[in-house]
Amino acid sequence: MFQLEDLIINLLLNFIAREDLNAFLRNPQHTATIVGSLIAVSGALLGTFLLLRGMSLTSDAISHTVLLGIVVAFILMGSVFGEHPDLSSVWLIVGAAAAGVATVLLTELIYRSGLVKQDAALGLAFPLLFAIAVILVSRVVSDVHLDEDAVMVGEIGVAWANTNSHCLDGCESVTITPEDPRAETTRQCTNCRSLGISPRDDKAEFTQICTNCGHYSPAQAWQAGFTSQEPVLVFWPKSITVMAVLTLLTLLAIVLFYKELKLSTFDPTLAAALGFRPTLLHYGLMVLVSLVAVGAFDAVGSILVVAFFIIPPAAAYLLTDRLPRMLLYSSLIGAVGAYTGYDLARGNLLGIADLSDILAALNNLFGLGLSERWDSSISASMVLMTFLFFLIAWTFSPKYGLVSTMLRRRNQRRSFDHQVVLGHIHHHQDSPAAGEELAVSTLYRHFRWTPAKMQRTLRQLRAGNLVRIDAGLVSLTERGETHAHQFRQTQLTNESVGE
Amino acid sequence: MFFAPLRVPSRIKTFTTTMTNHTSDRRIWLLITATAIIAALFIPFSQLVLHVEYDYTLRTVALGGALLGIVSGVLGCFAVLRRQSLLGDALSHAALPGVAIAFLLAGRDLGLLLIGAGVTSWLGVFFIRLVTGTTRIKQDAAMGIVLAAWFAAGIALLVYIQARPDASQAGLDTFIFGQAAAIIERDVRLIAAVGAVSFIVLALFWKEFKLITFDPEFAGANGFRVNLLSMTLSTLIVVAIVLGLQLAGVILMVGMLIASGIAARQWTNQLGQMVILSAVFGAFAGGAGAIVSAVDADIPTGPLIVVVAFLLVALSLGFAPGRGLVWTLLRQRSDRRRFAAQTILQDLYHYALDHGRADLPAPEPFLLGVRGATAREGLRQLHARGHAQRSNGAWMLTPAGIEAAARDDRNHQLWSLYRQYADDLDLPTIAEDRQQDIADALPPAAVAKLEYKLDTIRNAATQ
Repeated sequence: MFQLEDLIINLLLNFIAREDLNAFLRNPQHTATIVGSLIAVSGALLGTFLLLRGMSLTSDAISHTVLLGIVVAFILMGSVFGEHPDLSSVWLIVGAAAAGVATVLLTELIYRSGLVKQDAALGLAFPLLFAIAVILVSRVVSDVHLDEDAVMVGEIGVAWANTNSHCLDGCESVTITPEDPRAETTRQCTNCRSLGISPRDDKAEFTQICTNCGHYSPAQAWQAGFTSQEPVLVFWPKSITVMAVLTLLTLLAIVLFYKELKLSTFDPTLAAALGFRPTLLHYGLMVLVSLVAVGAFDAVGSILVVAFFIIPPAAAYLLTDRLPRMLLYSSLIGAVGAYTGYDLARGNLLGIADLSDILAALNNLFGLGLSERWDSSISASMVLMTFLFFLIAWTFSPKYGLVSTMLRRRNQRRSFDHQVVLGHIHHHQDSPAAGEELAVSTLYRHFRWTPAKMQRTLRQLRAGNLVRIDAGLVSLTERGETHAHQFRQTQLTNESVGE
Repeated sequence: MFFAPLRVPSRIKTFTTTMTNHTSDRRIWLLITATAIIAALFIPFSQLVLHVEYDYTLRTVALGGALLGIVSGVLGCFAVLRRQSLLGDALSHAALPGVAIAFLLAGRDLGLLLIGAGVTSWLGVFFIRLVTGTTRIKQDAAMGIVLAAWFAAGIALLVYIQARPDASQAGLDTFIFGQAAAIIERDVRLIAAVGAVSFIVLALFWKEFKLITFDPEFAGANGFRVNLLSMTLSTLIVVAIVLGLQLAGVILMVGMLIASGIAARQWTNQLGQMVILSAVFGAFAGGAGAIVSAVDADIPTGPLIVVVAFLLVALSLGFAPGRGLVWTLLRQRSDRRRFAAQTILQDLYHYALDHGRADLPAPEPFLLGVRGATAREGLRQLHARGHAQRSNGAWMLTPAGIEAAARDDRNHQLWSLYRQYADDLDLPTIAEDRQQDIADALPPAAVAKLEYKLDTIRNAATQ
């Protein structure tokens, strides 16, 4: 991981000065936006397939049970391998991926029994695993800073502060040994605790120990004052690397297995018949989901990461029928949501409105006494922005949106009205009862419409030059005649085809 | 007011009458009694062995847990049956912004916080219905959207509130993870009262809820207001969730809601019995979970209740009579044995007949080579029944075996004839099951026709 960061930094330094890079990364907004976008893109790509496979909520289950994997890995590391447990270890990621697969396996085990429906199986499996995780956390690892709070609700705003320092020049790492003149030593009582005596007791035995021995990286050495020359450093936020690797992995998996994923998503039976191993793909997908969930958990928390799996694909699903476009749109929506979400957390809604003003207005109107400074969770705001984009897509999608559906329905209703009136006139035009059937003033009664509706329809028909009104009687124009005739023709054809 | 004045559809009557099953009735009461006895024994056990002290706090928490178990157990049954198990997950998350808004508007009052939670959860239900009704997005994705977006709004508001200088907001986030120890007597009374009201609503609309749960199209065709009824039912589920949040927290609430219903479903096919059983299971899980968690102060109550409830589910899935996994395994084994015995019997019989006489031995390697493991199992069965005996590495049928084989063979031939000539001979239509004696499946006259046919064909063949 560290070498990878070196590589990226060296690459970047060809284009940008070191000071600028440091300044850029030290800005919380930049780091938060980059990490957020990476989470959003990888989540959206995987979420698209989850949505199409009808298993969106599996991502929710997995993101919860990831806690169990982390806790178990934590305990194993401490007790079996004797390592010092560390929240950023690779083993935690392995444990989380295993927990994700375990969730899916347990769900399928319960479902395969044939006694429980699919949704209920999921609803049984993940609360159980999560409950076990919570009990383990409270029983076994209560002395370490690992609680549900940290896992469930992360904060992306501090991602910039957790960095690896990369040294470019003047790198002098220092190792202090007890013989070193800079070593600081102190006397420590070796048998005080075991005998329960005070250090002043006669029986107390002492040894010399070194308090500052160990290995210092260039940055630490400079800070501790062991080196005289300031090293040239780049501080690189860890979460950027983690999420970039995961996003690349996701992209790579989707590009490599695009055909297989597509086939097994839309026609699993055919995929199985052609030998594409849909089960293997299924579990591969689940492993990727678990990896992204655990990679994202300390940035956005495990509940909010679900949003990036579900909301952008759902919005994209309303915008297109093509899989490649859906992948593209959902990644875009996720990334833009992450970008604009940062501003929302500071109260700025897309540059249109300022939440502080809204709060002030609420205070003025209702006298609520709310604090007028809106400064809130960045990750939650990112989710809210994606949700806003979903609402926009839902309302304005050209094909499936509320507005276009409403317009389409209205047009259909209107053209139906037109046909009915044209048919009526066509039918009665030259009949003896024409005077009674076609009088403008009473026409509405024959349809059981309101007069207003009749008036409106006639107005539209006249505007289309389909009917004319002579002396209170309505009749078809030549164009109207052709129209009615054509309609009759198509009706007849349809009927004969129907038979 | 919710339904048109129609006569009770006759189909429902027949449904309930045919489903009534007296053995299962008795079983349910036995089970309920057993659970009650275990619960009664559990209290002294916990005192003597686990050294639990029944102080005031524990009594309150255990009572609250049991009451919540009843409420969520009863209403959870409907969520399970309507395939909306995960609705509980979405709605418990959707309660969070309501808590925050209620706190902003009215301060820290439990009743108002719960009402706020209920309102936003209910808006979540509404949103799910709207999205699934107007777009092609499926229910699960719509639930996911509500879960994530509402929860995000809740977190955003909570962070905003926590930035306030005063300390009154402390503890609002117990709604996320639940905090059983904070339950006081007033909360228990609240749970009891609200639960009672929702049970009354449930009892009033029992028939309607039952109908829209099992056959919504039929209900709609008969003029029931399906949308309105289903919103009412969802509202009741929201009530159960909101009450449970304090104890279980948003994440585990779904487990509390559905686990006891799933367990109860395994024991019965009747909705009424399922609901009662689910209430009993829920009460047991809630009470026992709370008591066990008192063994050590570190153990959180909500997760333990979920674990106890899951144990009940595991027991039910394993041992429910006629349906559980153990029963299925036993049935499969006996089916496999019967099938093996029948197949090998026919193999031996036909081998011997092909070589001239019915009691000629067939070499064992030949039988094993053709049928493998089935042959081994079948031979063991036949030997045990005295239908076949082994001599010099070969198997031959005993007189009893020959008789059984001939009977079986004739049965098979009659079934084949039935398949071929059922229409010609004007026989009643039945499902073909060659394991069954055809004389049991068809009326005697029909069997006689088939036998006559068989004899005619045999005679024609010998002439």
